Amino acid sequence: MASSTTAGAHDHPRGLRRFLFSTNHKDIGTLYIILGTIGGVVGFLLSLGMRLELAYPGVQIFPGLAELLQGADPSMALDAGKNLYNVFITVHGVLMIFFMAMPILIGGFGNWFVPIMIGAPDMAFPRLNNISFWLLVSALVLAVISMFVEGAPGMRGFGGGWTFYPPLSSNTGTPGPAMDFVILALHLAGASSILGAINFITTIFNMRAPGMTLHRMPLFVWSILVTAFLLLLVLPVLAGCVTMLLTDRNFGTMFYDPAGGGDPLLFQHLLWFFGHPEVYIVILPGFGIISQVVSTFSKKPVFGYLGMAYAMVSIGVLGSIVWAHHMYTVGMSLNAQRYFTLATMVIAVPTGIKIFSWIATMWGGSISFRAPMVWAIGFIFVFTMGGITGVVLANASADKQFHEGYYVVAHFHYTLSLGAVFALYAGFYYWFPKMSGYMYSETLAKANFWLLFIGVNIVFFPQHFLGLGGMPRRYIDYPDAYALWNMVSSFGMIFVTLSLIVWFYVIIDAFMKKRLAGANPWGVGATTLEWTLPSPPPFHQFQVLPRISGSGR
Amino acid sequence: MNAPAPHSRHRPRLIAAALIAGATAMLVLSFASVPLYRAFCAATGFGGTPKIDAAAAPTDPGERVLTVRFDANVARDLPWRFEPEVAKISLRTGETKTVYYKVANLSDRETSGQAAYNVAPGQAGAFFVKVACFCFEEKRLGPHGAEEWPVVFYLDPALEREEGMRGVREITLSYTFFATKDPAPSKTSETASEKPKG
Repeated sequence: MASSTTAGAHDHPRGLRRFLFSTNHKDIGTLYIILGTIGGVVGFLLSLGMRLELAYPGVQIFPGLAELLQGADPSMALDAGKNLYNVFITVHGVLMIFFMAMPILIGGFGNWFVPIMIGAPDMAFPRLNNISFWLLVSALVLAVISMFVEGAPGMRGFGGGWTFYPPLSSNTGTPGPAMDFVILALHLAGASSILGAINFITTIFNMRAPGMTLHRMPLFVWSILVTAFLLLLVLPVLAGCVTMLLTDRNFGTMFYDPAGGGDPLLFQHLLWFFGHPEVYIVILPGFGIISQVVSTFSKKPVFGYLGMAYAMVSIGVLGSIVWAHHMYTVGMSLNAQRYFTLATMVIAVPTGIKIFSWIATMWGGSISFRAPMVWAIGFIFVFTMGGITGVVLANASADKQFHEGYYVVAHFHYTLSLGAVFALYAGFYYWFPKMSGYMYSETLAKANFWLLFIGVNIVFFPQHFLGLGGMPRRYIDYPDAYALWNMVSSFGMIFVTLSLIVWFYVIIDAFMKKRLAGANPWGVGATTLEWTLPSPPPFHQFQVLPRISGSGR
Repeated sequence: MNAPAPHSRHRPRLIAAALIAGATAMLVLSFASVPLYRAFCAATGFGGTPKIDAAAAPTDPGERVLTVRFDANVARDLPWRFEPEVAKISLRTGETKTVYYKVANLSDRETSGQAAYNVAPGQAGAFFVKVACFCFEEKRLGPHGAEEWPVVFYLDPALEREEGMRGVREITLSYTFFATKDPAPSKTSETASEKPKG
C-alpha cells in the first residue's frame, strides 16, 4: 500500500459544500462525469428527435415540437419546425463535443486518474480546477438558453450548424441574440478548458512521484499531456475567432464582412485551425484509455510504448496543420489542396502505428474478455472503420463530391460517436470499480456493449450509402429515393436507446448490490498506480509518495 | 531530471505563467492573422491580389499578348449602376493601359461606396500591377450623379518566365462596390418586434 489513509489535519468537507466548493481532484472528476452525462443525455435526446424525423420522408414531428418547446404559433409551425431541426443539429454537435466528450474524457477521467497515475496527491492548482468546472456549467446553461431566444428573424435558437459559419451566424443570418449566447458559451467553455489544460500540464511536469520519469508515465497520462498542449494552442484561436464574430455582430467591425474589406473565409480558417485539432482533443484521451485497457486485459505491457507515446505527439502536431481539408470547396489553389490532402493522409501513419500496436499487445497475450476489454476491441473496430473513410475523405477530389453530405456524417460519427464514446465506455467500465468501490454486473455491461455496438452500426453504416447517393446533411426532409436507408438508420436508434437505459441500470444495480471491488479487481495485468490504492481511493492519497522503479506501465 | 527534489516552490507558477503566455500568444496571433495575411497577399500576389505600383511603368515591354476581361458588380444595398466601358481588351505585357468604368447613382440621395477587387486566376495577381485605381479610396456620388473612373495598370513582363502563367491566356479583373457602412451598427430591431408570438 503506497499511502496511509489517515487524512490527518486535511479538511474533509461533506455534503453540498464538498461538491460546490470542491478542490479535490476526485470530486471534481466525478462532477465532470455527471455534467458530461447530463450533456450527453440531452445531446442524445436531440439526436433521437432528428432520427425520428428522418425515419420517413416529409416533415412530421418538428412542427409539433416547435409548438411544444418554443411556443411557436401553429400557423408558423412548419417554418419554426424546420428552424428547430437546424437548431437541434447545432446544439447536438455543441453538446456532444464540449459538454459530453470533453468533460468526461478530459475533465472526468483526466482529473480522476492523472494525479493518481503519476503518484501525485492532487492537481497542481486545485482551486483553478474548481473554477474550470463551474465555468463549464455556466457555458452549458448559456448554450441551452440560446435555443429559446430569438435567432433568425421570427425564429428561436441558432440553426447554422456547430461550425457557426458567417454570414449565417453574423447579423445577416441571425440578427437575434441566440448566436451571442452561443458565442459566450464558447468563450466560457474555452476558458474552462484552457485553465484545465494549464493545470494538467503543470501537474504532469511538476508533481510526478520520484522515479516517474516522462518515459515511464502511463500512456493515459501521455494522452492527456498531448491533449492539454493541443487545447492550449488552439482554444485561444477559437476564442479569437468567435470574438471577432461577436464584435462583427455588435460593435460594427468587419472581420467577416466583405463590404468592409473582411472575408468570411477568415472565419472558416480560424474555426478549423481550432476545429481539426479539436477532434484529436476528443479522441486522444480515448487512445490513452484503450492503451491501458488493452494492456491490462492482455496481461502484457503495451507493445512499443515509446512508439505509442510519440505517435500521439505526432498526431497532435500533424493534426494542427491540416485544417483546410474541411474547406476543399472554398476555391483554394490546387497546390494548397495537394498539400492538405497529403498532410491529412500522413496522419494515417501514426494512427496505424497505434492500431497495430494495440493488436500486437493482444497478440500472444493472456486475454480475458471482461467488459472494458470488449469495449476496447469494439473501439478498435469502429475507429478503424472511421479512419478508413477518413482517408477517402482526405482526397480533395473525392471530398468535393461528399462535402456536406451523409458520407461525412457517417465518417465523423464512426470516429467520434462510436470511437470516442466506445473509449469512454471502456474507461468507465475499467475505472468504475475504482471510482465507486463497487463492481457492476458483467452481464449487464456486456449487454450494454452489444446493444450500443449493434445500434450505432445500424444507425451509421447506412449513412455511408446515403452519402454516396448524394444526400446532403442538415436538411429536415429528403427525396423518397433516400427513404429505405434512412428508415434503417432510424431503426438503429431503438438499440441505442435501449443501451443507454441498460447503462443507467448498470450504475443503479452496482450501487444497490454493493459488490465490493477491492483494490485491484483486474488482477496482474493492472500495473498502474491507481490499483495500489483501495477502492474508492482515500480522500487524500499518497501522503507518502510512491517510488517508481523499472517498468511501471 | 533524476533529482526533482525540492526544486523551488515557485516552479508550478513559472510553468503556469509560461503556459498562459503561450495561450495569450495564440490569441494575439489569431487577431494578427488579419494584417499578416493582408501583408502576405500584398507582398506575393497570393490569391489574385494585384500589385500596386503608383510610381512608374516598367522599363522594357514584353512579348506575350494576353486578354484582360473586366467584371463589375454592385452589392444589392448600394443603388448604383457600374460597368466597364469595354468588356475585354488585349494587352501586351509591359504596356500601360487605362480603362474607364462608367458609374451612376440611381437614387435621390448622395451615396458612397468602396470597391473590393481581385484578379483571376489567382496566380496572375503577382503580375497584374495597378498604377492608379478608383478602388484605392472611398467614392461618393451625388443624387443621380454619373461619372467615369479610370484604372491604370500593366502586366508585368516577368510573367513570361513564370511556369504557372504559361497556360493563362486570359486574366479577369473583378470589382464589387459595397456601400460604405455607417459607423454605428444597425441591429435589426424592427425584425425582432414583428416575430409571431405564440
